Amino acid sequence: MRALLRDLRLYRRLVAMQARSQLQYKANIAIDIGTYFAISTLEFTQIFLLFASFTTLAGWSAGEVALLYGVTSVAFGLAEMFGAGIDGFDEMIRRGDFDRVLLRPVSPFLQVAGSDFRLRRFGRFSQGVLAAVIGLFLLGGLPWRPLDAFVLPLGILSGMFVFLAVMVLGATLCFWTVETTELTNILTYGGREMLSWPLSVYSQSLQRFFLFVVPLAFGTYAPVCYLLGKPLPLGLPEALAFAAPLVALLFASVAATIWGFGVRRYQSTGN
Amino acid sequence: MPLIKAEGLSKTFHVAQRRPGALGGLRSIVNPQMRVVHAVRDLALTVERGEMVGLVGPNGAGKSTTVKMLTGILMPSGGSVRVAGLDPQRQRRNLAGRIGVVFGQKSQLWWDLPLIDSLRLLRHLYRVPEERHAANLERLRHLLQLDEFLQTPVRQLSLGQRMRGDLAAALLHDPELLYLDEPTIGLDVVAKARIREFLRAINAERGVTVLLTTHDMDDIEALCKRMVIIDHGRKLYDGAVSGIRERFGGERTLIAVLDDGDLARLPAGADGTLILPDLPVGVRQTDAEPPRIALAFGRAALPAHELVAWLGARYRLRDVTFEEPDIESVIRRIYEEGLLLDAPVA
Repeated sequence: MRALLRDLRLYRRLVAMQARSQLQYKANIAIDIGTYFAISTLEFTQIFLLFASFTTLAGWSAGEVALLYGVTSVAFGLAEMFGAGIDGFDEMIRRGDFDRVLLRPVSPFLQVAGSDFRLRRFGRFSQGVLAAVIGLFLLGGLPWRPLDAFVLPLGILSGMFVFLAVMVLGATLCFWTVETTELTNILTYGGREMLSWPLSVYSQSLQRFFLFVVPLAFGTYAPVCYLLGKPLPLGLPEALAFAAPLVALLFASVAATIWGFGVRRYQSTGN
Repeated sequence: MPLIKAEGLSKTFHVAQRRPGALGGLRSIVNPQMRVVHAVRDLALTVERGEMVGLVGPNGAGKSTTVKMLTGILMPSGGSVRVAGLDPQRQRRNLAGRIGVVFGQKSQLWWDLPLIDSLRLLRHLYRVPEERHAANLERLRHLLQLDEFLQTPVRQLSLGQRMRGDLAAALLHDPELLYLDEPTIGLDVVAKARIREFLRAINAERGVTVLLTTHDMDDIEALCKRMVIIDHGRKLYDGAVSGIRERFGGERTLIAVLDDGDLARLPAGADGTLILPDLPVGVRQTDAEPPRIALAFGRAALPAHELVAWLGARYRLRDVTFEEPDIESVIRRIYEEGLLLDAPVA
C-alpha cells in the first residue's frame, strides 16, 4: 500500500513535469484545447442532426443519447489525457527511449504512463461534461434514486480504466511490431464512437463483444442505462451496472499481465 | 571481487527479413524469414573497482549489445554476468540504482524545462534520500559549473552544457559504475577537455568505475589505462592502451627537411616528384613536398637513429621529425587485417 502511494506520488510528479512543459507554450495549448473542444462539439451536433428527422432512436430520446454521449466522452477524454504516454509508446520504442526507462529503479509502466500527458485533450473532457449537462437539461431532470449518485462516477472511472487497458494492450503490441497501432485506434476511437449510441442498434455479437471481450460497455453504457431506467442489453440484470469497477479491474489485470510478457520479450530481443 | 565479471557472454538475435512487394509486410508477420545474427560471442570481461576502461569497436561490433547486457536491459543468450554482485537481468531495478548511464546522443533531461527541474525530479525516479541528493547536487553543480545554466530550458543549452547536465543527472544517485556511450560526440575541444577532466576527477576522488565506449581515441588515451577492442561480437584485444602502439603500430614516419642543394641533385619520377634513391631495406618514401621528404619504416626494419645516421651520411639534414601512427589508424589496422583474430570469422 505504501509502495502504491509512493508510485502515485511519482506519477503525479511525472505528469506535473509534462503539464509544465506544455504550459511553456501557453498560446499554443489554449488554441489546441479550443480546437479540440470545437471538433468534439461538431461531432456532438450530429446527434441533433439525426434527431431532427427522428424523435427516438431505438427507444432513446435526444436528451438520453446526449447524456450517454457526454458520459462516454468524459471517460474517454480522461483516458486520452492520462493515457497519452501509453498511447505514444510506439514512438518511445522506435526512438529507443524504453532502454532509458529500464535503467531506472522504478516501475517501467509508471514511467511510460508518466512520459506524456496531453493538456489539450482537456477539450474532449470539457465537451463531454457540456454534452452531459445538455442531455440532463433536455431530459428536464431525472427521477433520482438513492444509488444514482454512485453509479455515474463509478461508471466513468471504470470506463476510463477499460479505455486505458485497451491502450495498454495496444502499446504491448509494440513489443512485437510497431506497425499495428491503427488496431488500437479502432478499439479506442471506434469504441468511443460506437458506445455513444444505444447499444441495441448494433448486432448481438457486437454487443457481446463490447460487454464480454472488450468490456467498454460495462464502463459507461451500463451505468447510463441504470440512471435512465433502461434495460441492460442482452437482458442482463440491472444490478450489473454496479459491476463496472470489477469488470474494469479484471480487464486491466489481463492487460497488465500481457504487458509483463511484452517487457520480458523486449529484454530477450531488444528493439 | 571485480565490479563486472562476464564469462562466455553471448547474444544471438533472430532478425525477421522484410520481404519485398506490396504484401511483403503482411507476409513478414505471418511467416517471417529469420536471419541469425551473433551480436556478441563468448565474451569474457572483468573490470575491477575504480578502473576506467575504454570499449572500442566499429559500428555494429557489439559494444552497445554488451552494455545492454551488463545493465540488464537485455538478457544474454549464453554465459554469465555479475555486476556489483548482482545478476543484471534478474535484479535489474536493484542494479539500476547503483549504476549511471549517459548516452551522448540521447539526453535523459526534460527538453522544455529548466535543467534544475530534471535534476530535482531524478531524486524521485531514483528514490534518493533528500539530504544525500542535496549534497550530491551541490557537489556536481560546483564540479560541472552548472550554475550559469541551471535555470535555462534544456532545449536552449549548448551541446557541451547539455552533456554536463546529463552527467550530473547520471551521478545524482551516487552510482558505483558509470557507463558512458560517446560522451564527447560533437563537442568542441574545450568542452571535451572539460568533460574528460571531470571524469578523471570523479574517478580519482569518488572511486567511480567508468566503462566508456567512444569513437574518439583521444578520449581513450586521455582517460583509460586499459582498452578492450571488440569486432564482430568478439574481443580482439584487452590490455594496456599504451602497449597497443608498440605491438600493432606498424610503420612510423620520418620527415626529413633537406638542404636546397641536395634537393636540386635528387632525381625526379615520371610525375615530377623528387625521389630519394637507394633507401635501406624496410624503408619507403611515402611523400615528397620539397623541402620535406616523408619516409615510412617498420619498427622491426631498423632503429630510428640508424635511419637518421643513414640520411646524415648522404645528405645535409636541416631538420628531422618523427610521426607516430595515431591510435585510430592502429585500431583500424587491427580490424582490417584481423591482426588479433586467432580463428576465422564466419
